[in-house]
Amino acid sequence: MGSNPRTVPAPMIVEDWDQLTFRVNREAYRSAEIFTRERGWVWMHTWLYLGHETEIPNPNDFKVRTLGGRPLIFCRDSAGEVHAFLNSCPHRGTVLCRENEGSARLFQCFYHAWTFRNNGEVAAIPDASAYESSDEFRASMALRSMPRLEIHEGFVFVSFDPDMPPLLEHLGDAADYMTMIEQQHVGGMTTLPGTQLYSVRGNWKLAVENAMDGYHFAPTHNTFVGYLRESGFAVTDDNQYAYNLGNGHGLLVLTGHGGRISMVWEPRFGEDERVRTERHRAEMTQRLGEKRAHHVADESHILFVFPNLLLFDIEGLSIRQLEPVAPDQTDVRAWQLVPRNEDPAARALRMKTVVSFVGPGGLATPDDIEAYEAVQRGIQATAGTGAPELDYSDMSRGMADEVKAVQGRSIDEGAMRGFWRQWIEATGLDDGLEIHGERPASFLVGRDVR
Amino acid sequence: MTGIGNRGLVQCAGRTVTRQEVEDFLYAEADILDHWDYDGWLALFEPGARYEIPTTDYRPGWSPHETGSFVDDDWDLLRARVKRLKSRKAHAENPHSRTHRLVSNVRLSGESEDSFRVSASFVVHRARDGHFDAYVGWYDHLLVPTEDGLRFRLRRSILGHESLAAGARLSFIL
Repeated sequence: MGSNPRTVPAPMIVEDWDQLTFRVNREAYRSAEIFTRERGWVWMHTWLYLGHETEIPNPNDFKVRTLGGRPLIFCRDSAGEVHAFLNSCPHRGTVLCRENEGSARLFQCFYHAWTFRNNGEVAAIPDASAYESSDEFRASMALRSMPRLEIHEGFVFVSFDPDMPPLLEHLGDAADYMTMIEQQHVGGMTTLPGTQLYSVRGNWKLAVENAMDGYHFAPTHNTFVGYLRESGFAVTDDNQYAYNLGNGHGLLVLTGHGGRISMVWEPRFGEDERVRTERHRAEMTQRLGEKRAHHVADESHILFVFPNLLLFDIEGLSIRQLEPVAPDQTDVRAWQLVPRNEDPAARALRMKTVVSFVGPGGLATPDDIEAYEAVQRGIQATAGTGAPELDYSDMSRGMADEVKAVQGRSIDEGAMRGFWRQWIEATGLDDGLEIHGERPASFLVGRDVR
Repeated sequence: MTGIGNRGLVQCAGRTVTRQEVEDFLYAEADILDHWDYDGWLALFEPGARYEIPTTDYRPGWSPHETGSFVDDDWDLLRARVKRLKSRKAHAENPHSRTHRLVSNVRLSGESEDSFRVSASFVVHRARDGHFDAYVGWYDHLLVPTEDGLRFRLRRSILGHESLAAGARLSFIL
């Protein structure tokens, strides 16, 4: 791919430490060439979020899922081990499993009845004697496994590249925020049925930016903020921060955008929930210690794990996976992650509260979708004109603080800049990064919560 | 709601409710929604009523209290949703989508003392931003006869899609 002549105009990103500006070339959201490059470079050579272990809790459970445009089977074999296979018969390429989910010891291709065990081994090839060396042949026809699969706190990641560093190395500082999720409740967390599957007419990177962007919250979610205020919650953007966690991962730490079921009470949750919250919060302090319990319970976290996972650890917890399907279209999948063995009243309150905000039917996410769709349409205005310098989006907010080693606020754009720096490296478009001046020595990466 | 046992009329709240009365109610609702009259729409609910849209992987018997959903509105949220939709700051619906609704296959069943179930098919066409999207599915409502006519106790729209297609968000009432 690297040998293809580049038709994309340079520079892709201009980072200017003299002017304190950071600008992204809008071709990044529009170009078919860049989209192909992302599929070939980013999606083929990065750890990708596949799914949560609790989606396939029992031996023989399976789900099918597309990652980077490739159909996969995500399953647990009869012995309980988690696998990811290409969902394509090694014989002639037919989609092997045509159900979205279920329980199966065997996957049988309907086309010629080749049959595979759920650990990938060939179970049967009809009339195998027709093949010259049938044992060897049979072994060569096992299901194609994803070269790498590792699990952190129930979150299952895969890679098409066998030479990736270990998952925890890739996750870096992001890993602990996933551990914090698992620590919220003594019995751990589980996903629920009821997956939000939807698609937006916008580039996937607009969805990443939107999640790492506290600046939009007040104007874009004006009606939702109004609803919270009326119900007695004092919404604020003060004292909230955005962190560039390195490796493209980003984090918003929010304390003024809403309560947290079972951890931070607000009036709309009702009196019963106040009692439950006090009890649970005390249990957390005892189990985790004061400081750890504070980070786990009192802060909302929006975590982006490069390139395709967003964790909204806010009122409740939503896992959101981004699957780019075209430069201007992204499939989105969202699961609700909840405490195991939760009190039914708390569970009902949680589900209602979570979907009142997130998802295409919520009171807030539709306005985010409107934003990225409006950007995708709007950036046509500056495409290919005689003034290429206008065809850039600005993400400079907070750089003036960044040079002074002051932590960026949630309403700044530092987490976005961290994403874009990783993106340009991961796409192999490094020569499209133009830096003026010196990145300051005080430049902050990561967050110390220990 | 399946099977040939469904009738075109039910006995409920001490009177007979006919399919025609229910159809008139659903047609009037479609008209109200297509004309963006959200106060008029809210008046079709009894206080305490609910509005639900399950996800596209929905299976009969799932409860929104125990699974993910697209919409899980109790009476407070339903009123908040209407208030939002009437605001100029509901950006996803400002300007409004143009919608056109078709309602068909209306069947009545499952009467209790004061409520009965209605199932019906819907097609909602939505035009916005140069696109024309179709939403297809069925209603599974709980209605109550009152002195002022029929009212929703539960208004539930179940999508027939495998997933929501591009642009097809549920920012308006389905």
